Amino acid sequence: MGGFLLRKAGAALIVVFCSSVVVFAGVRALPGDPAIALSGENRDPAVLAAIRQKYGLDKPLPEQYLKWIWHALHGDLGVDQRDLPVAHTIIARIPITLELAVLAVLLGSVIGIVAGIVAAVRRGKAADHSATTFALVGLSLPHFWLGLMMIVVFAVDLHWLPAGGYVSFGSNPLGNLEHMLMPAIVLGTGLSAVLMRQMRSAMLTSLGADYVRTARAKGLPEWLVVGKHALRNSLITVTTVIGLQLGVLISGAVITEEIFVIPGFGHLTLDAIDQRDYTLLQGVILVVAAGYVLINLLVDVVYSLLNPRIRVQGSST
Amino acid sequence: MSYVDTTAVTISPRARRWRLLRRRFLRRPLAVVGLVVAATFIVAAILAPVVAPYSAGETNFNAILLHSSSHHLLGTDELGRDVFSRIVWGARASIEAGVFSTLLAMAVAVPIGVVAGYYRGWTDTVIARLTDVLLAFPFLIVAVGLAAILGPSLTNATIALGIGAAPALIRIARGEALALREEDYVRAAVANGASDLRIISRHVVPNMLSTLIVQGTVLIPTAIIGEAVLSFLGLGVQPPTPSWGVMLSDAQSYLIQAPRLAIYPGIAVFLCSLSFNLLGDGLRDVLDPKTTR
Repeated sequence: MGGFLLRKAGAALIVVFCSSVVVFAGVRALPGDPAIALSGENRDPAVLAAIRQKYGLDKPLPEQYLKWIWHALHGDLGVDQRDLPVAHTIIARIPITLELAVLAVLLGSVIGIVAGIVAAVRRGKAADHSATTFALVGLSLPHFWLGLMMIVVFAVDLHWLPAGGYVSFGSNPLGNLEHMLMPAIVLGTGLSAVLMRQMRSAMLTSLGADYVRTARAKGLPEWLVVGKHALRNSLITVTTVIGLQLGVLISGAVITEEIFVIPGFGHLTLDAIDQRDYTLLQGVILVVAAGYVLINLLVDVVYSLLNPRIRVQGSST
Repeated sequence: MSYVDTTAVTISPRARRWRLLRRRFLRRPLAVVGLVVAATFIVAAILAPVVAPYSAGETNFNAILLHSSSHHLLGTDELGRDVFSRIVWGARASIEAGVFSTLLAMAVAVPIGVVAGYYRGWTDTVIARLTDVLLAFPFLIVAVGLAAILGPSLTNATIALGIGAAPALIRIARGEALALREEDYVRAAVANGASDLRIISRHVVPNMLSTLIVQGTVLIPTAIIGEAVLSFLGLGVQPPTPSWGVMLSDAQSYLIQAPRLAIYPGIAVFLCSLSFNLLGDGLRDVLDPKTTR
């Protein structure tokens, strides 16, 4: 188990390192001179030179990269255009997006898993057809549009929920949930659709397996057969799918936050692109990539705990 | 053949396979509906000048924010432009982004994936790790980043969506090539002294076509939604060129006054991506009976 984890962690580190190079190179490839962006309206060569020197932009790229990554490893991602430390800005925004993501995953997995089980158990019946249709619609819906429609119905017409904005959980728990409900539903819909499909097909496979037949032959009640034997093995698949959907979730958070005016991480990313704030942008994307790799590593660990065969196969190769 | 069967109609195995696939496909009503709707969108996009009653940018300040009528099927927007016509013209951007970004992703990913899977060894290791790196960036972040680097336009959004979709496709092509290289007919070709290029082009790639077609129909709706998202964020199609994403972005300011401006383009995106998803599901069932649910 230890060796398996070490190997996985090593691979993850390499991926994060390569990602940091890609981020650095990618941000350098953005059009426009960051020194001009930083100088505002002042195009005086002396000012530009001073700015370049201050931010190390006059140094060769490899040197700039090493300096950046060295500081990043110490938790310093530089200062943005407003002279605020990027790391602080990011740390302040992460909990907001994290709350949104956690709520969306909760909503999405509960709906998706339950719908998937029901569809598999009631295969070919009305419940199956409606769950499958729901999944197909969920996959084809542009989620930002679903968000706009929910704003029209629940905020503009019915006045049940606020159309956008953010209140912190600490200052007003109820208000926080009111603000987060629609965004979480919008973000969770796609996930629930994907999960429903995977859960259904995993359950169908499990329900046809020999050990399920044995369990039935032993005379176990149906709920125990489904709930314990079939479900447990299907959940392994679902864990992987949740891990794989994280990228989609992060992408979804960007647009969801934009529509509901939530000052989270996604909003920050778009702002950074909009304002051509390079230091901020490379910090943001580096954190996204590192976080994504880290969570995938966690998924691998959970996966291997759920399914010891993976561990054995992993160590034999 | 050592005997002549006079009763059998002589058709080639390929034609027989096509007939079988066509029959299997036609037995799936949802897939047929998907095909018809998707084809309608494609035809509308191509024939936009004929189908749309008004030109895309034709403004009429005497007819702003009108409801549906015989003159304006879906009403008019804040500049008096015909919403139905703009949706028809907007199909161009969506179909273009959907189809071309998928083709681009295939053109990039299939050769890389096949080389990795066919040659294995260090080539495979390097490509697999690089793919991991690219997969560490969420699809939309890559697309948004690339659109920002390349500058906002439909072509660049298409490129961004294609590149963003490539890493996942590389994995799939690699997996297919890994499995196909072990097939008996590939070994036979190796024994016959066929070159790698010939084996890849004659045996490996043709045999992964059905997987690629299914993946393609799955990628198209993703790219169609992706184009709408990028245009909505101002990183895709630039106004006044019509695109469903641009229309939705404009409609945001009129959610209270005229929510229909946000409803119709959204339904267009939804129907278009739904039709390709239905088609993709149907094709998967037809071409890959293993995964038939």
